[in-house]
Amino acid sequence: MKISTRLLLLFLLVAVLPLALFSYLNLQQDEATLRIEVLERMSGLADKKALQVKTYIAERKREVQIRARDPQLMNAIRSLPQDYAAGWRKPSYVREAAQLHDYFGRYVEEYGMFYDVFLITPQGEVVYSQKREADFATNLLAGPYSETSLAQAFREVLMTLEPVISGYGHYAPSQTSALFIAAPVMVDGKFKGVFAAQLSNELFYRVATDATGLGLSGEAIFAQRDGEDVVFTTPLRYRSEAPMKLRMNPQQSSSLSMFGALSGESGAGIKPDYRGQSVAAAWRYLPELNWGMVVKMDADEVFASIARQRILMIEVVLGLMLFSGMLAYYFGRQISGPLEDMARTADEVARGGTDKRVDESAPGELGRFALAFNRMAENLQGLYGTLEQRIGERTRDLNVTIAQLHEEIIERGQIENALRDNRDLLNEAQRLGQLGSWELNLLSGKLHWSDEIYRMFELDPAHLVASYEKFLSVIHPDDREKVSQAYAQSLVDKQDYDVEHRLLMADGRIKWVRERCSSEFDGAGKPLRSVGAVQDITAHKLAEDRQRVAAVAFETHEGIMIADANANIIRVNRAFQTITGYQSEEVVGKNPRILSSGVHSQAFYAAMWQKLIHEGSWSGEILDKRKSGEIYPKWLTISTVKDGEGKVSEYVAIFSDISARKKAEEEIRNLAFYDTLTKLPNRRLLLDRMSLALSSSLRNQHYGAVMFLDMDRFKTLNDTMGHDYGDLLLVEVAQRIHYCVREVDTVARMGGDEFVILVEDIDSIAEEASQKAALIAEKIRTSLTAAYQLKDRLYHSSPSIGVCLYRGNEESVDALLKHADMAMYQAKESGRNTVRFFDPQMQYAVETRAALEADLRYAVFNGQLRLHYQIQVDDEHRALGAEVLVRWVHPTRGMVSPAQFIPVAEESSLILEVGHWVLETACRQLAAWSKSELTRHLSIAVNVSAQQFKLVDFVDRVMAVLRTFDVDASHLKLELTEGVVLNDVTDVVAKMHALKALGVRLSMDDFGTGYSSLAYLKQLPLDQLKIDQSFVRDITTDPNDAVMVQTIIGMAQNFRLDVIAEGVETEGQLAFLKRHGCRAFQGYLFGKPLPIEEFEKLLRD
Amino acid sequence: MMQYRKFLLFIIAVLALLVFLVWQYRVAAKPAIRIGVLHSLSGTMAASETPLVDAVRLAVEEANLSGGINGANIEMIVSDCRSDADYCAEQAEKLITQHKVQALFGCWTSACRKAVRPVVERHHNLLFYPLQYEGLEQSPNIIYTGAVPNQQIIPMVSWAMQQHGRRAYLIGSDYVFPRTANKIIGKLLRAGAGAIDESSVLAERYAPLGEQNFDAIAGEIAALRPDFVVNTLNGDSNLYFFRALQEAGISADAIPVFSTSIAEAELAAIGPQRVAGHYAAWNYFQSLDSIENRAFIKRFRHRFGAQRVLDDPMEAAYIGVHLWVNAQRSAGTPDASSVKIALGKQTLNAPEGIVAVDAETQHLWKPVRIGRARADGQFDIIWQSGRSVAPAPFPFFIPHAERAVMAGGSK
Repeated sequence: MKISTRLLLLFLLVAVLPLALFSYLNLQQDEATLRIEVLERMSGLADKKALQVKTYIAERKREVQIRARDPQLMNAIRSLPQDYAAGWRKPSYVREAAQLHDYFGRYVEEYGMFYDVFLITPQGEVVYSQKREADFATNLLAGPYSETSLAQAFREVLMTLEPVISGYGHYAPSQTSALFIAAPVMVDGKFKGVFAAQLSNELFYRVATDATGLGLSGEAIFAQRDGEDVVFTTPLRYRSEAPMKLRMNPQQSSSLSMFGALSGESGAGIKPDYRGQSVAAAWRYLPELNWGMVVKMDADEVFASIARQRILMIEVVLGLMLFSGMLAYYFGRQISGPLEDMARTADEVARGGTDKRVDESAPGELGRFALAFNRMAENLQGLYGTLEQRIGERTRDLNVTIAQLHEEIIERGQIENALRDNRDLLNEAQRLGQLGSWELNLLSGKLHWSDEIYRMFELDPAHLVASYEKFLSVIHPDDREKVSQAYAQSLVDKQDYDVEHRLLMADGRIKWVRERCSSEFDGAGKPLRSVGAVQDITAHKLAEDRQRVAAVAFETHEGIMIADANANIIRVNRAFQTITGYQSEEVVGKNPRILSSGVHSQAFYAAMWQKLIHEGSWSGEILDKRKSGEIYPKWLTISTVKDGEGKVSEYVAIFSDISARKKAEEEIRNLAFYDTLTKLPNRRLLLDRMSLALSSSLRNQHYGAVMFLDMDRFKTLNDTMGHDYGDLLLVEVAQRIHYCVREVDTVARMGGDEFVILVEDIDSIAEEASQKAALIAEKIRTSLTAAYQLKDRLYHSSPSIGVCLYRGNEESVDALLKHADMAMYQAKESGRNTVRFFDPQMQYAVETRAALEADLRYAVFNGQLRLHYQIQVDDEHRALGAEVLVRWVHPTRGMVSPAQFIPVAEESSLILEVGHWVLETACRQLAAWSKSELTRHLSIAVNVSAQQFKLVDFVDRVMAVLRTFDVDASHLKLELTEGVVLNDVTDVVAKMHALKALGVRLSMDDFGTGYSSLAYLKQLPLDQLKIDQSFVRDITTDPNDAVMVQTIIGMAQNFRLDVIAEGVETEGQLAFLKRHGCRAFQGYLFGKPLPIEEFEKLLRD
Repeated sequence: MMQYRKFLLFIIAVLALLVFLVWQYRVAAKPAIRIGVLHSLSGTMAASETPLVDAVRLAVEEANLSGGINGANIEMIVSDCRSDADYCAEQAEKLITQHKVQALFGCWTSACRKAVRPVVERHHNLLFYPLQYEGLEQSPNIIYTGAVPNQQIIPMVSWAMQQHGRRAYLIGSDYVFPRTANKIIGKLLRAGAGAIDESSVLAERYAPLGEQNFDAIAGEIAALRPDFVVNTLNGDSNLYFFRALQEAGISADAIPVFSTSIAEAELAAIGPQRVAGHYAAWNYFQSLDSIENRAFIKRFRHRFGAQRVLDDPMEAAYIGVHLWVNAQRSAGTPDASSVKIALGKQTLNAPEGIVAVDAETQHLWKPVRIGRARADGQFDIIWQSGRSVAPAPFPFFIPHAERAVMAGGSK
C-alpha cells in the first residue's frame, strides 16, 4: 500500500471515526435531553393549567359560600318559601323575587360569573331562579329533575352541610351540560335551604381550553368517565363535536393518556391523542371536577427544533470532515511526496539510470536521506562510467549497424505508443472529469461511446454494443421524451444542445447528467455526424438540494443566530431580523451582548455560560432588548457545536418572541378576582363588593365602614429580610384581619402592604356605627401589633388604619376609598400604629391648604407679595423707622390674610423663600432711604421665623444681603419671637452674637406672651423688647395688664434694653406708656401698615 | 514485535480503565433517604398501632423495588412511642435531629399528633397522620391522610337520620375526640338538614377510657328507645358496650349503633357476631371490590401472612408513604419546600379509590362509605359517595366563632 493511502486510512481511523461517532452520540444526547425538557415543560404547563382551572372553580365556590352567608340572602330564604307557598304569581312573591333579581343581576348578567342561581328549600323546592327555566318551581327530590346534577348536588349538601361542586352532566332545563356549586344556607344554626349557582359554560370553557403557551398545535382537553367510556367535556380543537358528545372506549384506544388521568395518575409522555396523532402530553386528575386533564402539543411541532438542529449539525460536521480531510491529504502529500519521489528515483537508479538524482530540499530526515542517496548514486555512477566506457568502445561498431536497422522499427512503435498513450490519456481525463464522450455517425448509424460513458451508465463494454436505444433505456423514463426532443430539435435548428437529465440505474439509483452535443451537416444541410459529451453532475445536484433544505430550515418563524467560538455573530436568519429589529449586517461580527436588556444580573449570564459549557446546551426565558429599545421576553435555546477535538466551534441560538404569550398570561391574571398570595379578594372584586354594599346600605339605611390599612415600615422588612419574609408577613396579616371581622365582611388586598376592610351593616345610628367601627379597627390594630413568627425569626410590626363611614350611595366607591386612604395617612402622620377616622372637615382643610400652598408658591416667585410699612415713632412723634409686614394680593382671592398664609408657609418650607424675599426687599428699601436726608436715619424691623433662624447659614445670608445693597447694618432690626429663641440655646446665642457683630440690632417680639424666664433672657444679646399689643390694648382698663407693662418696662431698663410698645391706638394708652418710661411706639394712632408710596407720603407729612 | 505487543497491552489497559470508571459512576449507590415511623409498639395503643407499621413497611418496600427515590433507597427507622404523647414528641425530635429523617409517618391519637405538631413545625419537617380525627386543625407541616368529620361522621349521622329517624343517643369515651365529635353531631342534628320536625339528642353520655360496665347505659338506651345510637367509644370499652347491649336484649334491627372507631380489626376483637347488623363509616373497607384493593390485599398478605386483616387506618398509613414517595420523585430534590409543593399536586389511585391532596388544607379528597357489619368480620358497603369528597377540616355549617371555641382540646 502506498504511504499516502496508509496515511489517509490512519487519518480516517484516528480523526474522522471518533468525530463521526462523537457527533452521533452528541445528537442522540441532545435528542434525549430535548425529550426530557419537552416533557418537563409540558408538565409545567399542565400544572399551570390545573391551577388555573382549580382557581377558577375555587373562586366561584368561595363566591357561593360568601353569598350563602350574606344577611340579605339569609333574609330571603326565611321569607321567600312562604310567599312561594302562597303562590309565586302573587304580588308578595313577585316583589321579593324582583329584589333578589336585582341583587343577583350583577353576577349573572353583568359578569357572566354564573349562568343562573337558585334558592332551594330543605324539602327540595326550587323557590327562586334567576333565569326561570323549566327547573323553577319543581321539586329536586321528587320532581322531573330529581336525577340531574343539580339534584345530586342538593342531596350531597343535605348529607354533609358542606358547599359542594356537582358532577358535570346534561341539564335538560338549560338544554346544555352544566356544573353547579351549592352551599347550605344556615340561619341561627338551622339549615334553611340551599343556595346553588350554575356555572357559565362559555366562560369556563374559555379558561379551561385557553391554549396560551401551547404553540400552534397544542390544546388542553378535559374528560370524565361515563361507565367504561371516556367523555370529553370541553370543546376540542380538532373535532367539531359539541362537548359531552365525543366518547371513547378503553378497549379501542387503551394507550390514550386520558385514561391515566382519570384513574388518578399524573404523568407525561409521548403518546397518541384522540386523533391518533403522536403528541407530547402531560396529564393530571382534577378532584374538584372528577375530571381528567391532558395538556398536549403535536410531537411534530415540539421536535421541529431538533430536526432543524440535526440538519445544521450534519452540515457542520460534514463540512468539518471535508476540511480536515483536505488538510490531512495536503500534509500527507508533503511527507509521502518526497518518499515516493526517492523510491521512484531509486528504482530508476537500480534499473541503471545512475544519473538520476533526488530533490534534496525536503526537510528533516528526508533531506538527509536524499543527500546520502545522491552521494551513493554519484559513486555508483562513477563506477558505471568506467565500466560503460569500456563496453561502449567494444560495442560501438556493432551498434552502428544494428542501430540503423532498429531505428525504423522503433520509430513505428513510437508512433503506435504515442497514439495508444493519447487514447489512455483521454480516457483517464474523462474518468477524472466524470465526462464521457460519444460520436454518432448518422450515415452508418454507428455509435461510439468512450469508456467513461460505459462507466457512467454502469454498462459493460465487453458485452454490449453502443446504440441509441440502449442510451434511451438508461435515461429516466420521465426524461426520455425531453432528451429525444432536444436532440431532434437540435438537428432541425442546426444548433448545439445542452440538457440536464436523470439516469435510472438498474438498482433504482438516480444519477444526474449534463449532456451537450453538436452535429455536423453537409452542404445540403443533411446531418452527417453528432459528437457529444456527458457529464455526471449527481454530486453537484445533491449538494444543491441539501443547501436548499438547510436554507429553508434556517428561515423559520423562530429567530436563529450562529456565533463562532469567540461568541461573535456569524450568521442570522430573517426571523432574527424581524424579532430584534437589527439587520443582518448590523450584527454580524458583533457580540450578542448588544441584544441584552441589562435586566439580568451578571450571575444570571454566568450561570448560563456555566451550563452551556458543561452540558452543551441552555434553554430558558430571557429578557432582551430590541433595536427600538423595547424590552421583550423570549424563549431561548443555545446549543454548542463542537469540532473533532471537543472544542467549541460554533454556538447556535434559536429563540422565539414570547411577549404575546406573556401578555395573554397577564390578561388572564387580570381577570382574576383574588390575590394569589393572600387568597383575599383583589381590588377588582373589592370595588364590586363595595358597590353592592353601597346599594344595600341605600336600602336598609345602615352605616358601614371602609378601612384602609397599611403596615408600618413594611418596605424596611422587605429590604432587610427579603421578599420571602415580606410575603409571609402579608399572609399572616391577611389571616389575622380575617379573624377580627365577620365572615360577611370583605377583606381585600389592594397590592403591596395595603389592605382594605369593608364592614357592612354596622348600625343605623351614626354614633353607634362609628363607635363599633372604632372597636373593630382597634381590634384589628391590636391583633396586628402582636409579634410575628416568620419562619425562624420573631418580627414586630404595626398597622396604620384609616376609617371612613358611609351610608347609602351618597359617595362614590372611589371617593370612599380615597377618604379612607386619607385618614390612613393621618394615622401615619400622627406616629403610626393608630386608627384615624376620616371627617369632611379634615378633607376640606387638606384640600384648601393644598390649594393655598400651590398658590403661595406661585405668589412668591411671581411677585404677588408686597411689603407694608408701619411707622415707629419716638415720644415726640418723630419717625424712628418702620416694621415691615408682608401682604399677599392674590389676583382672584384678593388680599389674603397673613394669619391664613403664614402658617401654610411655615408648614412647608416656603417660609424660607418668603423670609428671604422680605429681608431683601427691606434692605433694598434701606438702600433707597440712605440716599435721602429725610430718611437716612430710619431703621426697618424685619420679622424672622423659627425655620429661617434655624438655618445653618442664616447669619451668612443676612450678611450677604447687607453687602449686596450696601446697607448700614445698624438700620436693620431683626424681630425674633420667643418661639425662635426657645430652641437650641447655645446655637441661638451664638447666632445672635454673630449678628450683633455685624451691627444688626435684635428685638424680642411679642414679649410677655411666651414663657421665657428671666435667667434665659439675660443670656440673650438683645437690643430691644417689644411689648405685645395684647397688653397694650387693655392697659387703661385692666390693672393686670397695666402691672405687666410696667414690669416689662422696668425690666428693660434694668437690663439696659430699649423698649417699644406696639398696638398703640389711643391717646390714653400713649399717655400711660409715656408715664412709665416707654420711649418708642407703634400703632394705628401713628399710622397703619402702608404700601411704600403711602408710607413715604406719611413721612413727608 | 515486542514493541507492538507492549503498545497493544497499553491500549487494552487504558480501555479497561475507562470501562471501569464508567461502571463505577453508574453503580455508585446514592446514600439512603431516611424516614421515621412513630407508632406505639408497647402500651395500650400497641394492638391498634402495630399493624400500621407493617402497612408503612409494605409501602416502603414497594417504593424501593420500583427504584427508590431517584436512585436512592428509602430506609425506615421505627420508634416506639410507648403510648405516650410526650415521649412520642421526644422521639420525633430525635428522629429529625439525630437521624436526619426527611419525613415522619405516625401517631394515632390526636394527643400524639398535637404533641408532635410543634416539633415538625419547628424543624419544617413533615408528619403523615393516618387517622380519621375531629378536624378543626391545619398545619403546614402535617399531611392528614385520614378522614375529617365531613368525610366520615357527618354523612354517617345524616344517613342515619334519613334512614332511621331523628332521635339520637350519643355515647363516647371521655376525652376530646368524642366530645368534639359529639359537639359537631349535636349541631348537625340541631341544624336539621331535610328535617320537617325537630330532631333531637336524647342523651349524651361519656365513659372513662377502659370502662367495662355499660349496664346502666344499656338500660337507659332500652328505656329511651332512640332511633339510633352514635358510638364514639374507643378501645376495649366497645367489647363491653356491645356485650351489654346484647344482654339488655337490644338488637341491631331495633336500635342500630353507628360507630366511628370500629374497623375490621376491632370487629375481630369484639367478636363479629355481637356487632353484626350495626354500622360503621370509613373511607376504606377490606371488602371493597376493586382491582386496586384486591391487589393491595394480596400484596399485604403475601408479605405478612394470609390471615392478616386490613382496615382503614392501615390503608391511610400505606397511601401516605406512596404520596410522599411520588412527591419526592416528581420534585426531583429533597428540598423540603419543593417536596411540599409537589405534595400539594399529588393524586393517587389508592385501594380506597382515587385520593388527591388538597393543597389548601393538606388533607385528602377521599371517598366516603358506610358499612354494615357482617357475622364473618367484614362489612357490607351499603352507601358510598359517588366520588372523592373534598376535605373540610373546618365544617362550613358551624359559624367561624364557634369553631374557634371547639378547636382547642386533644384526643
